[in-house]
Amino acid sequence: MFSTRKRRAGVALALTTSAAIALTGCSGGGGSEPAATFDPEEEVTLDLAFWGNDVRADFYNQAIAAFNEEYPNITVNTSFLAFPEFWEARQVEAAGGNLPDVMQFDYSYLRQYSENGLLLPLDDYMGGIIETDGLAQNILDIGVVNDQTTAIATSTNAWGLYTNPILAQEVGASVYEGGGSWEDYNDYMIEATQAAGDSGVYGGTDWTGRIQNFELHLRAQGENLFTEEGEPNFTQEDVAEFFDLGTEVREQGGVVPGQLLEELYPVSAFDSARSLSELTWDNFGAGYLGNLGEPYTELGLVEPPTAEEGSQDLYLKPSMLHAISANTDHPEAAATLVNFLINDPQVSQIFGTNRGIPASETQLESLSLEGLDAQIREYEQSIEDRLGDAPPVPIVGYGAIEEEWRQIGTELGLGTITPEAAAERFFTEMEVILNS
Amino acid sequence: MSTSSSAISSPSQLEAPLVAPPPREARSGRRKLTPGRVAQYVLLALLTAIVLYPMIWLFISTFKPSSEFGQNPGLLPENGTIDNYFKVLEGIGGIPLWKFFANSLLLAVAAVVGTLASSSLAAYAFARIRFRGAGIFFAAMIGTLLLPFHVIIIPQYVLFQRLDLVDTFWPLIIPKFLATEAFFVFLIVQFIRNIPRDMDEAARIDGAGHLRTFFSVILPLIKPALITSAIFTFIWTWNDFLGPLLYLNSPENYPLPIALRLYNDQTSVSDYGATVAVSFLALLPVLLFFLVFQRFLVDGVATQGLKG
Repeated sequence: MFSTRKRRAGVALALTTSAAIALTGCSGGGGSEPAATFDPEEEVTLDLAFWGNDVRADFYNQAIAAFNEEYPNITVNTSFLAFPEFWEARQVEAAGGNLPDVMQFDYSYLRQYSENGLLLPLDDYMGGIIETDGLAQNILDIGVVNDQTTAIATSTNAWGLYTNPILAQEVGASVYEGGGSWEDYNDYMIEATQAAGDSGVYGGTDWTGRIQNFELHLRAQGENLFTEEGEPNFTQEDVAEFFDLGTEVREQGGVVPGQLLEELYPVSAFDSARSLSELTWDNFGAGYLGNLGEPYTELGLVEPPTAEEGSQDLYLKPSMLHAISANTDHPEAAATLVNFLINDPQVSQIFGTNRGIPASETQLESLSLEGLDAQIREYEQSIEDRLGDAPPVPIVGYGAIEEEWRQIGTELGLGTITPEAAAERFFTEMEVILNS
Repeated sequence: MSTSSSAISSPSQLEAPLVAPPPREARSGRRKLTPGRVAQYVLLALLTAIVLYPMIWLFISTFKPSSEFGQNPGLLPENGTIDNYFKVLEGIGGIPLWKFFANSLLLAVAAVVGTLASSSLAAYAFARIRFRGAGIFFAAMIGTLLLPFHVIIIPQYVLFQRLDLVDTFWPLIIPKFLATEAFFVFLIVQFIRNIPRDMDEAARIDGAGHLRTFFSVILPLIKPALITSAIFTFIWTWNDFLGPLLYLNSPENYPLPIALRLYNDQTSVSDYGATVAVSFLALLPVLLFFLVFQRFLVDGVATQGLKG
């Protein structure tokens, strides 16, 4: 099945490439020359798929209405699902060679789909149909797999530390100032939990249960989780040592106990006003505010602790991307739509920060951010010195590895496993995922 | 013999004792309330409450504002509101909620009709007609029960895609009319095998062909099996998630289970209040369907043995 899929995708790829060459004609060598242009008179229908809820669906409808004012001959049919189902449907469509023309895309699937030749290489359209003036090089690099651009980031986010100052005041605890070492943060959590007393509020959640915090530790030493070739950059001992960093704070009750986390699931302890701080992606703030409700109307967003002062352990990750399927019949029209969604200021005015802080300068400039959005923007500016190069596009199966780590983390929290055993299990599971 | 042949000329006579159950003692009058009986009822009510608690929690939680989930795990809402219902009735992305209900209903009804019609005909053939390769076909049919659905997803998808039927209801309805539900075929086959062959033979002597025998003799007798199949088909189709997920792309074609998930998006803001409200609403039709047909189900089981 996979070989035929590859072959068919390969044929599609060959066809599009030859079409692109035919269209370029004799202009060869002119790198600045746009390779393909869009014929606005052609009647075209495109499928656009995205994940999200009804709010986002409404935004997309408005954005497409604006798009159709400019391009009345392109009809866009939208399809939307929740995140896990979105990918289930795409996997089957990919096998059938029937992916939607334009897709909202996720970083964790980018390598898999690109390497299987399912995504249209966009290099021929860059600087032509897809304007790149507003996109910084480090943002363009995000969508490059094996030297080909297959996706473009709509927006970026960074790892951050959310705090709940109103809750802290309520229970008489202090608010973490951000930065510092991981030991400082552990001390803070123990202290804050004690200050909060009987209120049942904790200083934070056990951060060893998130692979991103391990990644921060590695990056502080100048390493990424995985090499360009997809090999892990760490040993089982490294993982065991890392899990052990949380042993003391777990034993002293400084973090939300595992049992409480399970009771609150699917919402987090931070969502439920039971935790004063949480390390996560900075675009989670709106979700927190929504789940917290009154009276917690403001949050703090500060730098995570660091294992090495002055290192560049943080990086900008795309919160989502746009990609075009290799089986599209209308690559030019699809590229036109992608360009509109990425660069047009009308789109950012409709979406606000629903997709994250816009990656394109032209979109960002048109946006006057306030409240939490302004806070996130300021945060991403404030950590500029700590931002290093983004790691290689996540390996195939990274999503499963991340989830495995999280599950082992919950078991550490429940106290059913030692750091050594946890590291051993993670390695076994990771090898299964990497070799499948 | 004479009784069965008269049954053929007027099947309603045969049906009559099946439909009307004998009057039961329980219906004849009120029983006396003794302390022992009261205690019995209290105990039963308590047990019922425990079993129904998740349902009750779901219903009462539909009145909780979204932010209370997680912070208030208890039964009663702190700030009760019916906004959740107003919100879900508006629908999603410009598509009203009734549209999702209508899609679900259409799929479920079509599936019930298709499954009953095709499975009973196929079952009749397997049980009563001796044709070449019957044994192999029967084994193959049973064999499909062992085939995990996930094995056939992709070939089936490619097939319907080539037929250009993706994003229509047909890929979800056509298979039901082709007796692909081996479970029900098997169920009805077993049921028909228990019906005395004398009846068919009598019909044949009276000049009935296979179709006439099927419609006049067998169909009235396998009603209990048909009702069981109908209930299961309805509930399975109503709750089916994967099929519609793969074959329906346009949001206006989504049935309820998919629409339901859209309220609960982990990547942005999850509206738990709306999720429980719409879950509760989605549950009602299945509940009603079961309540209405449950009586037949019990009757069916009670009169299954054909006597006299």
